[in-house]
Amino acid sequence: MAALAVDPPRGGFSFENCKRNALLAQKGMKAPTAYKTGTTICGIIFKDGVILGADTRATEDTIVADKNCSKIHFIAPNIYCCGAGTAADTEMTTQMISSNLELHRLNTGRVPRVCTANRMLKQMLWRYQGYISAALVLGGVDPTGPHLYSVYPHGSTDKLPYVTMGSGSLAAMSVFESRYKPDMEKEEGMKLVRDAIAAGIFNDLGSGSNVDLCIITKDKVDYIRPYDEANLKGKRQGSYKYKPGTTAVLTSEVKPLELEILDTQIVSEPMEVS
Amino acid sequence: MQMDPGLHKGEGYQYGPNPKQHYFSPYSMNGGTVLAIAGEDFAVVASDTRLSEGFSIHTRDSPKTYQLTNSTVLGCTGFHGDVLTVTKLLEARLKMYKNEHNRQMSTSAIAAMLSTVLYYRRFFPYYVYNIIGGLDDEGKGAVYSFDPIGSYEREAYRAGGTASSMLQPLLDNQIGFKNQEGVTKVPLSKEKAVFLVKDVFISAAERDIYTGDNIMIHVTTKDGTETEVFPLRRD
Amino acid sequence: MASTVLHPASLRSHNLSSDLSPDWLTSEHSTGTSIMAVEFDGGVVIGADSRTTTGAYIANRVTDKLTKVTDHIYCCRSGSAADTQAIADLVNYHLNFHQMELGEEPLVKTAATKFKDFCYYNRDQLSAGIIVAGWDKLKGGQVYSVPLGGMCVRQPFTIGGSGSTYVYGYVDSTFKKGMTKEECLDFTARTLTLAMHRDGSSGGVVRLAAISEAGVEKKLIKGNELPNLMHEFDYQ
Repeated sequence: MAALAVDPPRGGFSFENCKRNALLAQKGMKAPTAYKTGTTICGIIFKDGVILGADTRATEDTIVADKNCSKIHFIAPNIYCCGAGTAADTEMTTQMISSNLELHRLNTGRVPRVCTANRMLKQMLWRYQGYISAALVLGGVDPTGPHLYSVYPHGSTDKLPYVTMGSGSLAAMSVFESRYKPDMEKEEGMKLVRDAIAAGIFNDLGSGSNVDLCIITKDKVDYIRPYDEANLKGKRQGSYKYKPGTTAVLTSEVKPLELEILDTQIVSEPMEVS
Repeated sequence: MQMDPGLHKGEGYQYGPNPKQHYFSPYSMNGGTVLAIAGEDFAVVASDTRLSEGFSIHTRDSPKTYQLTNSTVLGCTGFHGDVLTVTKLLEARLKMYKNEHNRQMSTSAIAAMLSTVLYYRRFFPYYVYNIIGGLDDEGKGAVYSFDPIGSYEREAYRAGGTASSMLQPLLDNQIGFKNQEGVTKVPLSKEKAVFLVKDVFISAAERDIYTGDNIMIHVTTKDGTETEVFPLRRD
Repeated sequence: MASTVLHPASLRSHNLSSDLSPDWLTSEHSTGTSIMAVEFDGGVVIGADSRTTTGAYIANRVTDKLTKVTDHIYCCRSGSAADTQAIADLVNYHLNFHQMELGEEPLVKTAATKFKDFCYYNRDQLSAGIIVAGWDKLKGGQVYSVPLGGMCVRQPFTIGGSGSTYVYGYVDSTFKKGMTKEECLDFTARTLTLAMHRDGSSGGVVRLAAISEAGVEKKLIKGNELPNLMHEFDYQ
C-alpha cells in the first residue's frame, strides 16, 4: 500500500521543531509569548461541600489579553478545577484529565473521586517535570465527602481545607488566614471566597475584572459567572462613531462574475401503485 | 552527607561548582502613563496616579504631574527614584532662575533646560519619560516631549509611559484627524480636550495593568491652572 | 523626532520577574525541612516539621511529611515536594505488589532499598533526601537514611533536611543507647524544635509517630505548645 502523505497524529507532544527553534533563538528571534493567566484562584471546604473561586483576567506580558476569561474548568459533574499559569496548559491539562476520568467512570461504573483526579493530574505534571505550567485548585464532592487539593506545576499536591494559587495567592490567602473557620454556612463561605478573589483582583496587577464562583455540594453544582463584577468599566463621554466615507478608498475595481446558469426543472410523477 | 536538597536542584553534590554572578539593577520600572495636549490658548497635562512594581501596587495615590510654574506643568514617569531626582533638580534650578532674574522661566526655556539636564547623564541616564505642557511666550498652548537622554521637540499632543502606545494612536486620530477622509478639522476646544483625556485613560486602564486608580488632570490657561481628579478602575 | 537610544524594554522585562512577587510558577516547591528518626527497642520514632515553601512563601504550614509506605513502614520526606511525593507513591505501589506476592509484610530494608534504587538510578534528575523507618519482625525497629545521591545506610538515629545542620551537635551530645519510646519521642520533639527555631525554611507544628509491632501511634505538637528549650538553656 502506498504510504500516506500526512502521518496521522499519534498522541502526545511533537518536538520536531525543537532544534530549529533553538537555532532561530540563537540567531536572535524571539519565541512567541503565550497567554499567562496571572491569576487569583482559590477554594474552601464549607459545611456542605466545596466553593471554588477565580478572577477573569488573562494577561500577555503587561497587556490584558482577555477581560473575561473562564478559569474554572469542568472535570466531572461533581468535580471542578481552577487553573492558573499558561492558559493553554491549564485548559488542555484539565480537558485531558476530564476525558480520562470519564473513561475511568465508564470502566468502573462509579462516581469519579476527587483523589483519582488529583492522582492523574500529579502524575501527568510530574512526568513533564514542570514544563507544563499548570497550577491548579482541584475541588469536588464524591461519595467519601468534600475534598480540596492544590496541584503545583512540578506535580506536588497538598490536601487542605482552604487553598489559593496564582500570582494573587498571597493576597487571597491573607483573607483566608484571618477569616476562615471550619463548617461555614454556604452564604458565609461564598462571601469569604469572593473577598479573597477581590483581594487578588485589587492588589495583584496580574488579576482583575470579575469574580467567578463554583459551589459544589452533594447533589448540586452552582456555577455562577460572573458572581460579582468587582470593577465597573468607566463611562466614556465622547462618541467614536465615524461617518460613512471616513475611511479612505485607495483603489476600486468592478469585476463581473461569469456564471454558467443551469436551469433545472423538477416534474413530479404520480406514484406507482400497481 | 548533603542535607537541604530542596534548594538548588542539580547543585547538591558539592558547594557551587560554577561561580555565580550577582547583579544589581540600578533601575526599576514603576509604570504609569502621562499625556499632554496643547490647544490654542490652553494646555492639558494629565497622568494616572498608580505607582507599581512587578505585579504589586505601591500606592494608588501618586500623580506623575508636577506644577513647575504658573504656566508650566511637567508629566514625568518611568523609574520613580529618577522621577524624584529629576523633579527635585528642576525645582531647584527654577528657584535659582527666579532669584537671579526676578521672573519665572518660560515653558520653552524649561524644555531646553530639561534637555541639558537629561543629556548630562548620557551614559547613565535617568530612566524617565518627560512631557511638558504649558503656555508659550505668546500665550499659546505648547507641548514638549522628551526621550530619556534629552532629545526633544515641540508637538501638539503626546502620550508617554506604559500605555503610551495605546493612547497615541487614538490622539492621532481624534486630535490630529489622522486616517480620516473628508472631516472638517475643527480646532480643539478645552472641553473636548478634557473629556478626550478621560476617555483615552478609561480605555488604557482596561488593557494596561500599570494604568489605573485615578487621573490627575491639569488645565493651564492664562488665568492659571485648574486641577481635576477623575476615577479609573482599580484592578 | 525623539529617538530612544536607551532600551527600556529590556529593563522592563528584567523588572517584571521582580523579587517582590514570588516566582510561583517556575520555582519548585520544596520542603526545606527538619526531619528525624530514632530506633528504640521494639520500634522507631519518626518526626518532622510541617512547613512547605516556595521561595520565601509558605505554601503549606500543616504539611504531613511523615508518609505511609506500608502499615509498618513510613518515610520522612525532604527536598522537592513533587519528587518525594512521586517516589513515595511509586515505592508504595511496588511494596503493595511485593506484599501480595510475599503474603506477608515487606521488610524495612526492602523498602529502603526500593527508595535507594530509584533515588540512585535517577540521581541526576531528583532532589530528594528521605529517611525510611519502620518495624518488621526480622530486625524490629529500623532507621535507614537515603540522602541526596542515593546512598542507603542503617543508623541508630538520623536527622535530615535543611534544619538538621543546626542540630548535629545537639543530637550527638544528647543521644544515648537504649532509650525508651517516651525518651525517643522527647528527644525527637526537642531536636526538631531546636532545628525549627534556627532554620527559616522549617517551622509550623511538630508531627511525631511511633511505629512498633502494635502499629502506628501518631502525635502532634502545636506551634505554641513546643517544649520551651530557650528557657532551659537560660537564654532568650
